[in-house]
Amino acid sequence: MDAITVKHVRKSFGNHSVLKDMNLAVKRGEIFTLLGENGSGKSTLINILTTISLADDGEVQIMGHPIMSDAGLIRENISLNSQTVTLDDEFTGYQNLLIIAELRLLKNAKTEIKQISERLNLTSFLNKKVGKYSGGMKRRLDIAMSLLGNPEIIFLDEPTTGVDPKNRVELWNIIKEIRDSGKTVFLTTQYLDEADKLSDHMGFLNDGKIVLYGTPDEIKKNARRFVQINVDSPNVNLVNLPEEMIISKNNKGTSFVVDERNTDICIKILVNENVSIHSVVPQENSLEEVFFNVTKIDSEGN
Amino acid sequence: MQSIKQLMVLTKRILKQNLTNIDTVITVILMPLFMLMFFVYVLGGNIAMDGVNASTGEYLKYALPGFLLVAMAMGSAYTAVRINLDKTKGFLKRLHSLPIKRWVILGSHVLASVIFMIISESVVLIAGFVMGYRPDLSVGNFALFVAVSLLFAFTITLIAIPFSLKANSVESAGGFSYIILMLLFVSSAFIPMDGMIKPVRWFAENQPMTALVGITRDLLNNNFSFTSSNSLQSFVWLIGLIILFSLLSYRRYKMFSVKL
Ligand SMILES: Nc1ncnc2c1ncn2[C@@H]1O[C@H](COP(=O)(O)OP(=O)(O)OP(=O)(O)O)[C@@H](O)[C@H]1O
Ligand SMILES: [Mg+2]
Repeated sequence: MDAITVKHVRKSFGNHSVLKDMNLAVKRGEIFTLLGENGSGKSTLINILTTISLADDGEVQIMGHPIMSDAGLIRENISLNSQTVTLDDEFTGYQNLLIIAELRLLKNAKTEIKQISERLNLTSFLNKKVGKYSGGMKRRLDIAMSLLGNPEIIFLDEPTTGVDPKNRVELWNIIKEIRDSGKTVFLTTQYLDEADKLSDHMGFLNDGKIVLYGTPDEIKKNARRFVQINVDSPNVNLVNLPEEMIISKNNKGTSFVVDERNTDICIKILVNENVSIHSVVPQENSLEEVFFNVTKIDSEGN
Repeated sequence: MQSIKQLMVLTKRILKQNLTNIDTVITVILMPLFMLMFFVYVLGGNIAMDGVNASTGEYLKYALPGFLLVAMAMGSAYTAVRINLDKTKGFLKRLHSLPIKRWVILGSHVLASVIFMIISESVVLIAGFVMGYRPDLSVGNFALFVAVSLLFAFTITLIAIPFSLKANSVESAGGFSYIILMLLFVSSAFIPMDGMIKPVRWFAENQPMTALVGITRDLLNNNFSFTSSNSLQSFVWLIGLIILFSLLSYRRYKMFSVKL
């Protein structure tokens, strides 16, 4: 059974159609990352999955339970870290945690708070007012609040936005640790490197749909690939290569990049022209390029 | 039972926020005290009642009921602040994703607000005592006085809800409370209406605060009857406002939380 299933979900605000036909399955015990630009609808989807708002159409199941009929049960098993930290600055870290523990009606609130604070390295700040915390500490405390009550699925809406690099790495480790403890993590981010490093699966949300889905490696593999052809000396004959095939070339004319599919044609042309080929190197695909291409194709209307 | 426990947790949270926030305490508890002393000791002796300048004691007896309502009205701004902060900072979202009944969430704000207003009312009442105020009260009238205070606090709390849920920032959330305060100033709360110019006097006589100050004064002065015009007008106003703002609050709140 999947942790989350989303089928044909649509959501509009007035005339503005945000989710057009969302389909998605998130497996149990994995980190799933939803990537998308500002305003692409990441939070809108999270709100629907966490029973805060309703889809206009479609079907959502959490741990096999339909959201429409089993919301009460689902809420026992999920936690939401919304995009803004939801801490009370005037209280200490401990008091913030205690409120959530009590709202979840935990019997052994104290022990659970203690364990979670140790896991997230919060113990030494626990009795300080949250107003004095740094941004990174606040994020960690916010995540700690979500772990109370041992929920199965943790939703993290852009937890690292606005966090400095050192704290980002620390948050990444925490997120991985949550997954390793057997929980499912639904993460959203605008950062590709974050998705690349953390995800078991990831989906790219563009124009209201998931336009790419897979493991980071699969996505990189399936994307358009390029090779770099290096020749020994600049040669005027290079101009015989069809212009539209050359993606880029260096100034000296000794090196150029073509689509992998065109490698053979290009080599044939070069051999016919007696150009000596030094090397043919496949290009390592970065996620940046992948997503750049997807959005480009999309905006060109294909 | 679980819902009651959760209601208590959330109510305690809001009360603690209010009582540990210097701004809130200054505005809601110290300001009314300052105003009370200023009016009684500075202005009181210059205000004419029945044609002659009042003594400090006479003025205190006249104006204290109005200050009780002012203290509560000041609190309504912070009711709005608390609700609005929970909305804009995302705490409402967290609550809505937790297994908590929807009525508990807004209910905690209402309960905390009413309790906080009664606290600030009590502080002013005690200060009045210290300054020499002595009400003329039967047990029955005292019970009714408490009931009217609770109803008034509940009503202005309800008024705060739609404004606070609609506002996009905490600065604009509490603006409506100035209207309540203005109504109190242009009523019989601090100054007898005899000296007001005609249109203002007509307005003062026909707006809810004059009746509410009146009924509070009647109760504290052992002058109360259910059929007096103060009493009838107060009940009509309170019930009307409660119905109107319950509906508006419900409608606003529904925009934030789906019932599932
Ligand atoms: N309650 C609402 N009423 C009207 N429009 C809304 C509402 N919530 C979201 N939107 C619109 O829907 C679109 C998607 O918003 P959403 O917050 O889901 O994006 P996001 O991917 O989370 O963006 P960000 O990275 O900025 O958080 C935006 O254009 C936003 O203006
Ligand atoms: Mg968002």
